[in-house]
Amino acid sequence: MKRRNFIKKAALATAGTIGVPYILPSGRLFASTAAAMSEHVVLVLFAGGVRNQETVYQRYLAESQGLNIEGNILYNMLSGDAPELKIVYGTQSAGGQPGGTPIDQILSTPLDKQGTLFPEMRYTGSYTGHYTGLSNALSGYYETSQGLQSRPLHPTIFEYLRRHAGMKATDTWFIGNSISSSTPLLNYSAHRDYGSDYAANFFAPTVTFGQLGDKYIKGFKTYHPEEELDPVREMRAFLDQAFLRDGRSIPNLNNTEAEIADIKAFIKNVFDRLDNDQVAFPPVADNGDLKTIGFAAEVMRWFKPRLTVVNMSSADSCHGSFTNYLGSLHRGDHGIGFLWDFIQNQTEMAGKTTMLVMPEHGRNYTPNAITDENDWVSFDHDSDENSRRIFSMMVGPGIDGNLRVGSESNPIGDAADITPTIADIFGIKNQVMNAGLVAPGAMSLFDRI
Amino acid sequence: MKYFRSLPYCFAFCFLGLFSCTENTYVYEVNEINVEPNNAEKDKIKASGQYIAILYANLFQTALSPSELVDYAELIASIGDKQVAYETIIAKFLSSPDVVIPSKSEMDSNVGQFVIDTYQRFYVRNPSQAEKTYFVNYLESRPDVTPELVYFSFATSAEYNYY
Repeated sequence: MKRRNFIKKAALATAGTIGVPYILPSGRLFASTAAAMSEHVVLVLFAGGVRNQETVYQRYLAESQGLNIEGNILYNMLSGDAPELKIVYGTQSAGGQPGGTPIDQILSTPLDKQGTLFPEMRYTGSYTGHYTGLSNALSGYYETSQGLQSRPLHPTIFEYLRRHAGMKATDTWFIGNSISSSTPLLNYSAHRDYGSDYAANFFAPTVTFGQLGDKYIKGFKTYHPEEELDPVREMRAFLDQAFLRDGRSIPNLNNTEAEIADIKAFIKNVFDRLDNDQVAFPPVADNGDLKTIGFAAEVMRWFKPRLTVVNMSSADSCHGSFTNYLGSLHRGDHGIGFLWDFIQNQTEMAGKTTMLVMPEHGRNYTPNAITDENDWVSFDHDSDENSRRIFSMMVGPGIDGNLRVGSESNPIGDAADITPTIADIFGIKNQVMNAGLVAPGAMSLFDRI
Repeated sequence: MKYFRSLPYCFAFCFLGLFSCTENTYVYEVNEINVEPNNAEKDKIKASGQYIAILYANLFQTALSPSELVDYAELIASIGDKQVAYETIIAKFLSSPDVVIPSKSEMDSNVGQFVIDTYQRFYVRNPSQAEKTYFVNYLESRPDVTPELVYFSFATSAEYNYY
């Protein structure tokens, strides 16, 4: 009887603990969360504007160039046979045609067999621009008036996680493939209740570790953490105390001193690894997207982030070259397959990581007037119906394998669903939805199954 | 005859003119002082381009070229935490042989002047008496602190981020 009472009281106390908000060590109010489905999430934004025809429906040249050639060029992500004719998407082997050698498959089991595919989702709420699309993917809200050079007006998933799940700055990373198109502004929003205090860390690694980084910061001096940085901290504290007392502040990402030191150590380490050819690039890394994927892997290896978002954009070459577009899709698949394989080889992340993949928006059905070296037509993204068609897939613990939700004639899911989905995976869906700042109708993809 | 009658009026007018508009000239003199901003007037955060251009000029005593300024602005944009970006760049600058910085012995020979010079170089103002006293005491009690570490502290301080 006593034992039964003890269990009953313990159960009640546990239930009470789950339901009652508490104060985080940082002093922030932390509402209780549901159980997390996964310890880590990786979101790959297969961005740049990707058509469903050449991806999930595997129509290769059949629904774009008037050639009856179909086939799957994303064979790490999707099940299906590769095209047999007019192979242009691979690499060029000695004496071969440009793009004539497809890149070797990395995953023995494609991701659609390991996870759940939403082949027909919609991008409903705004025009199909890259920055608006990325902003929507990260905030779950279509900013109809979103312009470049301004931060999203609605909180990003990074801010939700840091504020409601108590994640620290280095738990959340946005790895952008460039600094163009205002990409660096997507690591936090301008929302007054969230903002830089809850931002993700950001790198555009092809810049940070590229030519500019190599020229201007590689080999920067590392100060001794106690003997040199302690006096620096003391002097700076004196200098700052009076100045900041007047209400002035420096917007920062709230990295702790230890986190800042860790990021600097990471930068130094990546330069060292570059010198020794040790950076975890995919087997083929001949474009910016694949180099970005490699650096994202380095971030994961070092920080083991709770949320990593990686952005690609090479597919946007489709404005002027369908051939390059096909190559970019194939390389995007190669990068995604590599990343999933890399995660399975990280002890702290294997079996505890969910990966999601989604383009930010699609591309037009009808071509523009530009033809490429193969005399193939190109496609823009002008918010026609086809450019609003996208797909998404997710794979990880607790996610059904070999499941397709929706079809070409039955669209299910919206581009704004990714933010609630990630929130759901981390157990803070209710907090995000109750904040009332995602697009009307947006919901977790798990609730659409 | 008519002219003689108006003569007294002419004399009277001239007499009044002589004594009514006397102007005293005063010359005021003031001590010569340098007009410098105080930190209360610094209320705008420097953009990263401004920050790096001023930092470079402060440390190397020469201007950064326009193309390098663009390079640095792009590099800073590629790192989300600006403090990380700035600190790595400053650490790289301070290890350059071209940086213009007093030696430790120069600093120790006249700590008070070093403090004034440092405030003027980085903050474009003189230190208050309290600021000067703090730094003189601090540097005299910490022989391990080098001018490089003092410069690093100033360059990464909040006030240096403002103008």
